Amino acid sequence: MRFEILALALIVGGCTWAFRFFPTKADLSGIKPDGILARFLASTGPAAIATLFVASALPMLTADVPVPLGLGTAAVLAVFASTRSVVMATLAGSVGYGLAVWLL
Amino acid sequence: MQVDPPKSSLPKSSFTAGVVTALPIALGYFPIAFSFGVAATRAGLTGPEAFGLSLIIYAGAAQFLALALITGGAPVLVSAFTLVAMNIRHVLYGPALIKRVGPAARTKHAWAWAFGLTDEVFGAALGALARGKVAFSEAFMFGLGLAAYGSWLAGTALGAFAGGAALQNYPVIDAALGFMLPALFLALLLSILSRAQLPVIAVAMVATVAVTLAWSGTAGILAGMIAGAVSGLLVRRGDAV
Repeated sequence: MRFEILALALIVGGCTWAFRFFPTKADLSGIKPDGILARFLASTGPAAIATLFVASALPMLTADVPVPLGLGTAAVLAVFASTRSVVMATLAGSVGYGLAVWLL
Repeated sequence: MQVDPPKSSLPKSSFTAGVVTALPIALGYFPIAFSFGVAATRAGLTGPEAFGLSLIIYAGAAQFLALALITGGAPVLVSAFTLVAMNIRHVLYGPALIKRVGPAARTKHAWAWAFGLTDEVFGAALGALARGKVAFSEAFMFGLGLAAYGSWLAGTALGAFAGGAALQNYPVIDAALGFMLPALFLALLLSILSRAQLPVIAVAMVATVAVTLAWSGTAGILAGMIAGAVSGLLVRRGDAV
């Protein structure tokens, strides 16, 4: 393993671990249930996941009419609505996207 | 006389419950990690180097970006700064999870299980807790994290072993695997969706698109998360996920 890749991995990996671990030790006992910080933290999850969905899907908007993206997204929505299963919806979305690419 | 509820109706919090909760992530991670292994070897990394990035960094989006930076010849410190900035969003996950659990949250071994607190593991833990199917415990977090981590490592190893040319003759499969990550995020989002959080989601999405188009993808991710979370200050008590 080249030194620069190992160094990059160790720096980024170490910082990422610190980002994930140290905040779990934050003292939350003083936070009021209806306080600003409590509401901020409660909305963090939906905000983060919505952001990551958009960020990962945005590069796929290359065509004038993004049919594969539309079909893949529709497949996720339809299968999740009927099964409430994250795994089934994910796999259906992937299959839907691949089918659209294949058909076009 | 007080009657205890049947065991089957109690939320599970075991290591096994964590593994079961992680199954959707593991199924989603494997093909994405496979794609990463293929992309890494295609970019000129050796198999051990590709595996090392997954083993040490363990952050999918950052790893794909790392490939672009390495092949683009960016200096190590510049690459490291960019990737660290991209992963800074993870500081929000621990407090959000602990806050959701409340005073019962134990974090004695968090130095170990928090290593696996990726976007998807955080989303899955939050979703499972919100649905009341599981109760938080460190064993649960270890099961959840290790199953996802194992799948990520196995997928990377197989992709790196298959090599950079593995999917060149299968463009449809390549495309389908490429949509696995957004599909997983969308499904996770649906699993924790509530009417009260719709404005938060809308703000996060709009901010991500606007800042990505105006500046960069990394800035868009940070802007979307911060704008969405800040807009959550307008959500009424009890409505939060």
